Amino acid sequence: MYDETIHRSARRQGIVPINFTHPYQDQVIQCFSQNMMTPVSVILTGTAGDGKTHLCRQVWNLLKGEDDKWVSDNPYLTLRYHLTSSGSDAQNLKRAITVHFIRDLSGWAPQHGAKWEPEKEQLLLRFCHSLFNPDIDEVFLIAANDGQLIESFRRLKETEEVKNARKVFEDLLVTDRQEQPGIRLKFFNLSRSSSAELFDRAIEAFLTHHCWADLKQGMTGENELFGPKCPIRYNYELLQTPLVKLRIRSLLELCDYNGLHVPIRQILLLLTNAVLGHPDVKDHLMVPNDVPEVIAAGTTSKASLYNNVFGGNLSEIRRQAITIFDYLDRFQIGYETSNRVDNILIFGEGDENLGSYFDNLIANDHFYGADSRFYAAKKEYIEGTDTSEEKSEGFLQMLVNQRRGLFFKISKEMEFDLKLWELTVFKFAGEYLDSVVEVLKKGAIVKRPILSQLVRGLNRVFTGMLINSDRELFLASSGNYSQAKVSRILVERVSVEPSKGEKVILRHDFSNGQVLLSVFFSPDIYVDFSLTLIRFEYLSRIALEGALPASFSKECYEDLLAFKSCLIAAYMRRQEKETGPSGTTIGLNVLALTEQGMPDPIFVEITP
Amino acid sequence: MTSLPQPLSPPDSYDQSSSMWVDEAIWAHRLYDEQLPWFVFLEFLNVFDHEEGKSRAFEETNGLNTLKYRAAHRLHLRNILFNNPHLAEIQLTCPNDSNRWDEWLKRMKSATGIAHAQFAYLKNHFHSFDDFCEIVSLIRSTSFEVNSNKRWTSKFVFPYGRDCLYEDLDNNAATNDRRFFGRTGEVLYLMLCRTSRKYELLAALKERLSKTDPTWNSVIKCLQSSEEDEQGGGERANAFLPYAQHPCFDQLAEDWLAILRLSIPGFDAFPHMVNLAGLHLLKYQLTVSLQLLNSSKPLSLVCEVVEPKKTLVREISCDFYQTNNLLPAQAVEMFILNIEQSYDWQRALTENGAFERCRKILRDKARWGKDYEGPNDPHALIASLRQAAMKRHRQHVANIHRNYGREIGLVSRRGTVKLRYAPTDALLKTLLFANVEKRVELHQFLEKMHRRYGLVFGDKEAEQVLSKGEFDKKAFQANSRRLEQRLGSLGLLRRLSDGCAYVINPYHTEVK
Repeated sequence: MYDETIHRSARRQGIVPINFTHPYQDQVIQCFSQNMMTPVSVILTGTAGDGKTHLCRQVWNLLKGEDDKWVSDNPYLTLRYHLTSSGSDAQNLKRAITVHFIRDLSGWAPQHGAKWEPEKEQLLLRFCHSLFNPDIDEVFLIAANDGQLIESFRRLKETEEVKNARKVFEDLLVTDRQEQPGIRLKFFNLSRSSSAELFDRAIEAFLTHHCWADLKQGMTGENELFGPKCPIRYNYELLQTPLVKLRIRSLLELCDYNGLHVPIRQILLLLTNAVLGHPDVKDHLMVPNDVPEVIAAGTTSKASLYNNVFGGNLSEIRRQAITIFDYLDRFQIGYETSNRVDNILIFGEGDENLGSYFDNLIANDHFYGADSRFYAAKKEYIEGTDTSEEKSEGFLQMLVNQRRGLFFKISKEMEFDLKLWELTVFKFAGEYLDSVVEVLKKGAIVKRPILSQLVRGLNRVFTGMLINSDRELFLASSGNYSQAKVSRILVERVSVEPSKGEKVILRHDFSNGQVLLSVFFSPDIYVDFSLTLIRFEYLSRIALEGALPASFSKECYEDLLAFKSCLIAAYMRRQEKETGPSGTTIGLNVLALTEQGMPDPIFVEITP
Repeated sequence: MTSLPQPLSPPDSYDQSSSMWVDEAIWAHRLYDEQLPWFVFLEFLNVFDHEEGKSRAFEETNGLNTLKYRAAHRLHLRNILFNNPHLAEIQLTCPNDSNRWDEWLKRMKSATGIAHAQFAYLKNHFHSFDDFCEIVSLIRSTSFEVNSNKRWTSKFVFPYGRDCLYEDLDNNAATNDRRFFGRTGEVLYLMLCRTSRKYELLAALKERLSKTDPTWNSVIKCLQSSEEDEQGGGERANAFLPYAQHPCFDQLAEDWLAILRLSIPGFDAFPHMVNLAGLHLLKYQLTVSLQLLNSSKPLSLVCEVVEPKKTLVREISCDFYQTNNLLPAQAVEMFILNIEQSYDWQRALTENGAFERCRKILRDKARWGKDYEGPNDPHALIASLRQAAMKRHRQHVANIHRNYGREIGLVSRRGTVKLRYAPTDALLKTLLFANVEKRVELHQFLEKMHRRYGLVFGDKEAEQVLSKGEFDKKAFQANSRRLEQRLGSLGLLRRLSDGCAYVINPYHTEVK
């Protein structure tokens, strides 16, 4: 239980731990309110670092559990409380409820392959029993990683109740719901919370921690901790700037929209590493004593927050093992670039067009911009005679760091001019956030050109041809195989503009925050497609650039073919309702393209 | 591993064309490597369609191994589609519709295999010659072997319906020379006749075939002359499968049933059925070999989930491939050794006229020896059989494991010079669709793959199969992690958090 470790070391150091309200806290606490008519059991599940133990502790405190017991290592605790139900039932007035806390199921259950201790197995059987029987006066609060949860219950004796309980857990997990009618259980999957929202809470708590103020007050010499040259101080100040906050938040939000959840622990880890990272010191994290040495060695620039955000201060193996850096690495920031950005970095100095950019973004940043090492390496790179790879390697690494810096320095106003998002793998991420997600959240309508672009991408995937039409969605098949690469038989065209019940729209699913692309065949027949960032990028690129390397995303391609199958099935459902004289001839619409890429179907009729 | 069931005796009227009865006695008459799984499936459909027409599908009404059927030739259709290079040229050179028809009909008078070729009936079905050309090009685009250099009589239209079924023919389009329809489809049919679930299978197959879109079958029917004899060919007989039942037959039936019950569009089931047919034929051959060799170890196929770099799993997979690849040849040797060690043979050796007696034994058991011209010595005789049998085995039957394996995407050379088991996405999909009801946890899926097919991906399975020296837990954990990523990228896996992933079959429907 990591939560306990943190509290212990906080007590030892005499520091108040970083604290903020967990997004699920109110909902969880609510379940143990003394006013509940029928108390329910609660399962908290999620990835390591999502705050399961933390929430357990909140409940323990609420129900006035003793601190001594909580700090013990025992993963299983119990507690009794009385309902003060306002129900008319006199017996219910003083109903005593026992709460069983299993705050770490995996630590409590037997190791894989080992046998259950009888009393533990009995307890879980009782838990299963209680789920289906509202009169029982005991409830459970169980915290477990989702995999271990199912695994533990799989190893129990196979009674009917165990089987049913397991089915309930599986259904709730896979379908992302919190309860099932008739079951005394609330199921919270903490991995479903928004990473961006967690970030907002975490950074607020992180930046306003009182220790920072103490540090400022205790500030001493120029080269000391938190002095004017101190990288920790500068990183801390950078982290307070709205632009840096916004960029980190955008990245986390994009992770959410790609289905990657970042737990609280990882966010705190990111913030800490961002401020304290330095590749040359012990553990790659600066402690107060390191600061004067770093300044003296002239390696302040290596402590760059811009680089630390991506774990650039850590070794590659270490970085890959940390979830948040693995996720952020997928944006390839530092390695992706555009000609314009690289021209500014390499040839911008003193150039009549690019010079002002270079000055603003690079030269004027005295901390992490161009230092003497950078100018020297740049000169060597451009004019030097030594063309060995080793020599240029150092400069190329500096370019990576500078590009990372630019990602945080290019302001919102310059975003379009300098094509900020070309510094990432997801060129269309900015458009996705600003023109789709933000617009939909406000309840507004996404602009037509964006929708057209997506429709053109869909048409190209659905037909396997470089089709340019974006007013209608073309559903086509190959005759024998619905997943064929090229489909020339036109099944149906669906109008994008609302027409006779047909339309194609983008909308926001408020239940889970996803963006949906919905194709309506009639007001009650429609198909939703979750438009994740990567799918948006995929369709946009296909629409603008045509073919893509097959390796770009097979996943998206497969998903889109599956989507086409669903669309054709929905079309069939609509046609079932159409009754008319069945003709004796067979008519086929064969798709062909004009030279401009516009569809030009040929109608072929066959008389049997 | 279960023991081999008692083999059936060869039919009295066995095919005189085969020079001996060894591979046939062990596996079937016959497994044929040049007939790849799609052609096996097409031949199967021909048999099934005929038997179903006589209301006796999956019944061997006259006793085991008495299958007799006829298949259509559809030479008008095949001449139009595959023996007709004129269309584009005529569209260019002839200015109007009636010229075009006239010119084409003139040229088609010499169509192969049809006595008085008449194609004028086509004009009743199409508004224009251009429409006709468009349709021909569309049908060709879904046909088999269109762009290969196979003879035109060995090209096939997609089996949209019964009007698309016909048998492979020789160069003169006269008779089935068993070049690409080498009876493996008949064997597949016999396997399914001998499973306990054949009635369920029959119902599911009929249901699936009746629900497919009839459009294309009708279109293809329009290309055929109503005067053509439906059952063009002679009677086909002599298929032989030496076991009255076998676990492999039942597994094949189970897998086909699972696929047929999926809610996927009509013809999408076919590629999966073809993959499974190929897989089970391959597995049948290896399993029977192991049984004949009295092996205590079950069949194991260690699969690499492809990694760009060389891995330990790849090496082990190569070794397993090599070992398994030799099993059929070892089975042939064992079959002959069993004759040599039999009571009859040993007694014959001690009696007068030993050579003639032994020769009679070989004539009975292996249908061989008529043309033997070596010394009159029983040892030389059986050595000669061994040599001849191995030579014959190597020509075709020995290649099933490699050819079928590659064709269905089980065996691959990707990134290496040696062959190994490295399943493709398509095969993984097929396996998942056939084995997952709604969803299961990944490790249960891996366990099932091992139990049913001997496929090894993860560390738990590898530990059971490999010796302590060979087993490397990390390597196989990485292998199953790669599988997880692959399935994820196919949209068939849902990862929850640490240590828990569900394999999902999106096409599963509850059994009615």
